[in-house]
Amino acid sequence: MEKHRRQYRGIPLILLLLLVVVTLLSIRYGAVQISVNEIFSSLRKYFTTPGTMTLNERIFMEIRLPRAILCLLVGASLAVGGVLMQALFRNPIVEPGLVGTSSGAAFGAALYFVMGATFKFNAGEWTLPFAACAGGILSTSLVFTLSQSKQTGKSSIVALLLTGIAINALFMSGVGFLSYIARDPQARSITFWNLGTLSGANWHSVIIIGISTVMCIAVALKYSKHLNALMIGEEEAGYLGINIKRLKLIVLLINVIMVAVATAFVGVISFIGLIVPHLLRILHGSDNRSLIRNGVLMGGILLSSADLTARMLLKPAELPIGIVTSVIGVPVFIILLRKKNYFF
Amino acid sequence: MKKLKVLAGACLLLLGCGRFSNKDEKQEHTERIVCISKQYSEIIYALNAQDNIVAVDVSSTYPPEIKKLPTVGYHRALSAEAILAMNPTLILQDNNIGPEHVVKQLNDLKIPMKNFGKYQNTIPGTDSLIREMGAYFHKEQRADSLCMKLEKDMKTALESAKQYTDSTKVLIIHFGQASNIYLVMTKKSTAAKMIEWAGGKMAVNDEKGMKQISPEIVAASDPDVILLTDFGYDRLGGSPEKIKELPGVASTKAYANKRIYRIEEHDMVYIGPRTGENVLNLQKLIHQSGKTP
Amino acid sequence: MLSAKNITYKVGGKTLLDNISVDFEEGNLNLIIGPNGAGKSTLIKIICSQIKPESGAVHYAGKNIAATSLSELAQIRSVLSQNIELAFPLTVKEVVMMGRYPHYDGKPGQKDEAACQEAMDFFDVSAMADRNYMTLSGGEKQRVHFARVIAQIWCPVTGSNRYLILDEPLTFLDVHYQFDFMHKITTLLKSKDIVVIGVVHDLNLAARFADKIILLNNGKLLASGNKNEVLTKENITTAYRLEPVIHREKEKMYLFFG
Repeated sequence: MEKHRRQYRGIPLILLLLLVVVTLLSIRYGAVQISVNEIFSSLRKYFTTPGTMTLNERIFMEIRLPRAILCLLVGASLAVGGVLMQALFRNPIVEPGLVGTSSGAAFGAALYFVMGATFKFNAGEWTLPFAACAGGILSTSLVFTLSQSKQTGKSSIVALLLTGIAINALFMSGVGFLSYIARDPQARSITFWNLGTLSGANWHSVIIIGISTVMCIAVALKYSKHLNALMIGEEEAGYLGINIKRLKLIVLLINVIMVAVATAFVGVISFIGLIVPHLLRILHGSDNRSLIRNGVLMGGILLSSADLTARMLLKPAELPIGIVTSVIGVPVFIILLRKKNYFF
Repeated sequence: MKKLKVLAGACLLLLGCGRFSNKDEKQEHTERIVCISKQYSEIIYALNAQDNIVAVDVSSTYPPEIKKLPTVGYHRALSAEAILAMNPTLILQDNNIGPEHVVKQLNDLKIPMKNFGKYQNTIPGTDSLIREMGAYFHKEQRADSLCMKLEKDMKTALESAKQYTDSTKVLIIHFGQASNIYLVMTKKSTAAKMIEWAGGKMAVNDEKGMKQISPEIVAASDPDVILLTDFGYDRLGGSPEKIKELPGVASTKAYANKRIYRIEEHDMVYIGPRTGENVLNLQKLIHQSGKTP
Repeated sequence: MLSAKNITYKVGGKTLLDNISVDFEEGNLNLIIGPNGAGKSTLIKIICSQIKPESGAVHYAGKNIAATSLSELAQIRSVLSQNIELAFPLTVKEVVMMGRYPHYDGKPGQKDEAACQEAMDFFDVSAMADRNYMTLSGGEKQRVHFARVIAQIWCPVTGSNRYLILDEPLTFLDVHYQFDFMHKITTLLKSKDIVVIGVVHDLNLAARFADKIILLNNGKLLASGNKNEVLTKENITTAYRLEPVIHREKEKMYLFFG
C-alpha cells in the first residue's frame, strides 16, 4: 500500500484538529445554556476570585469542563487498551474487556453497591474505584494464571482467550446475582452503571484517571516496537531478543490499570477499544507506535462525540453512553468484518 | 444478556415519553420548583399549589395535566445538567433519587433541596404529610379539606369492605421499566395495604416490596384476581392471548374466570389524597366476578 | 565457532535427541539433513536457545548460551523459522526493519537504515519496499524474511562471531531461487566471522554447497563431515531406507533415487 506513506503525514494533524473541534463542541453545548462569555469569565474567575462565580460559571467549571476532559482521557485509555490487546493477542476481535478486566471491575463495583454500607472500611469517594480496581485485578490475574500451561509455565494466546471468556462469564453472573439480591434502588444503580455514564465527572476523577492514563500510555509507547515484533510470531519475537513473558505481563498490567480505573468511574463502555484500532489500521497500517499515538486522539474524538450525542439527543435527559457507542460501533464493526481486502 | 435488556428498557423508557420536548411555559416565574417525587407531585396539585412547579420527574403522572410539564428524567437516573437547565430555585425530593454523584453535584453547587418529613406509610402518616406540605405552601385550608375527605373516604371504604365475606386473593403484576422485566408486588408493598383495605389479600409474600415474576410464584399464589399496572397492561395490548403468555398466568383461576383487570400505577404505589376513592374502586373491581376487562 | 556438546532432549518419555555433539565452524556452510522425525528442528531450536536440553550445553565461541540473555543473543544470532505466520498489513520495509530491533531503542538510527537497505538489496526485495507484505507470493515473502534475518546480523560485531540459523529456508522457493539463495549464502560466508547452520531436505543441494554435513537419524548423530564422508550409500540407505545412485563428475556429486 504505497498510499500509506503519503497519507500518514496528514493523519495525526487531521485527528488533532477533529479533537479540538469536538472538545470545543462538548464544552459549549449541554442541557444548560452557557454562553461563550460565561466560559471565559468562568476560567478567569476560577483562578482569581472564585467566590464571585455565578451558577452557570460554576456549572461550567465543576460539571461541564471536567466531563469534557474525562471523555478525552477515558476515550484514550479504552482505545489504547484495544491497540495493546489486539497486538498482544494478534487477533482483531479483542477488547480490553476480554481478559476479564471490565467484568471484574463491574463486579467490584456491584459488590460495593450491595454491601458497601456494611463495610467498615470506607474511603469515602474512593471506595468505589478501589473496589472496581480490586475486582479488575482479581479477574485478570485469574485469567492469566489459569491459562498458563503447567509444563512450560507459558500461556498461549488461545488459552488466554478461552480462559478470558470463562472468567468474564463468571464475573458477569456474579454481577447478575448481586443485582438480583440487591434492594431495589441499589439494583438500578448497578444496571445503569453498567451501561456507562460520564455524568459523575469531577476534578478528582479527572486527576486520578489522568495520571493512570498518561503513565500507562507512556509505558505502552516504550513497548510499541516489541509489540510490532510480536506480529511475526512469539518464537520469532524471541529471536529478536524480546522477553515474551515479561512483555505479556507488562502489557497486561498497564491494560488492567488503565481500563479498571476508567471503568471504576464511568462504567463499562464497549466498542471504543474494538473500533479505534481497526479504523486506524485502515488509515495507516499496523505499526503500533502510530496506532498508540493516533489511538489517543481518535479515542478521545469518538468518546466525546458519543457523549455529546448522549447528552443532546433527548435533551434534557441523558442516554447512557454505552447505548450510543454500541449503536455506532456495531454497524462499523460489521462493515469492517465484511471488507475483503482487509487482511487479518 | 442483562445488559441488552437494560439497553432496550432504557430506550423504551426514554423514547416512549414525548415529555422531554415539552416546552417550559413558566420562564418568567421567579420561583421555580422542580419536583422529583410522584407522591409530592400529586399532593401539590391537589393542594392547588402547582403554580411554581416548572418540571417533574418522568414517574409523576397524576393528575393528567402534569404531563404537559417538561421532565428531568427518571428519578434514579438523573443528570445534574438536566435539572439545572430548568433553572430551579428549589428541588423537592423524597430521598429516593440517584445516582449519588448527581446529588453530590447539586449539593456542591448549593442548589436548595428539600424533602418533607419521613412519615409512616399509613393514612395517619400521609395525613401528616399533606398537612406539612399544606403549611409549606400556605394552603392550610385546602390541606385540611383534603385530609378530611381522605378520612371520610377511607371510612366509607372500610365500612363497605365489610360486606365482602370472601377474602379474594389478589396478584398484582407490574412492569419494571428500569429493569425491563415483569414483577409481582408482595405483602410488603404499599399496594398490599390498599388491597387489605379493599377486603382482599395479597397473594405473594416476600422480604422486598417487589419480586421478579416466575411460574412457581404465580402458581403458588393461586390468585382469584390478577391486576396489571397500566404500562405493563398496555404493553401487551390488553389482549388475553398476550396476557396468557406471562409466566404461570394461563393456569390460574383468575385467568379461567377472566378476572384480569387494568389498574393505574399511580393509584397503587403511594398513599395520597385520592386513596380513599381508590380503595373503594378497588373493592368493586376485585369483588366483581367474571367480567372481561 | 558454535559447539553443541552431549545434547540430549526428551519429551514425555520419548528421546528426541540422544547425546549429540557437533561443532560448527565459522566461514563454513553447515547443513543438517535427515529423514522426517530425525530431530533436526529440535536440534536447531536447542542451538537457538529456544528450548533447553535435558543435558548438555551449547557454546557460542566458548560462551554458554544458557548464561546469555535473550537480547545479547539477538545481537549476534539470527534465526529463520520454518513457518512464519504474519497476518497483518505491513510494508516489506517494516518487516525487514524488524531485523534491526535488537540494535536500537525507539527509532532506528542511520546504521540501522543502511543495514536494512543493504539487506533488501542483497535479496532483491528493494523494489517491493513499500508494498503490502500480504499481497506477495510465497517465494517473495520468503525473500523478505531472508532480508530481515540478514539485516539482523548485517553489521560485524567486534570480538564475536555472527550466527545465522536457517530452518528449512528453501521450502517456498523455485529451483532458480533455491540456487540463488545458496549462492548468496556462499557470498556471505566470505566474511569469515559468520557461522551458517541450515536444515535442508535436498541432498543434492547439500552435496553441492555444504562445507560440513550433519546426518541425523532417530535422534542420533549418524555421520558428520564432508560430503564424501557422509553421503555414502550405506548412510543414506540406513537413514532414508532408500538406496541412492551416486554419480560423480569431477568435484561434484549427484544423488538419484528410483
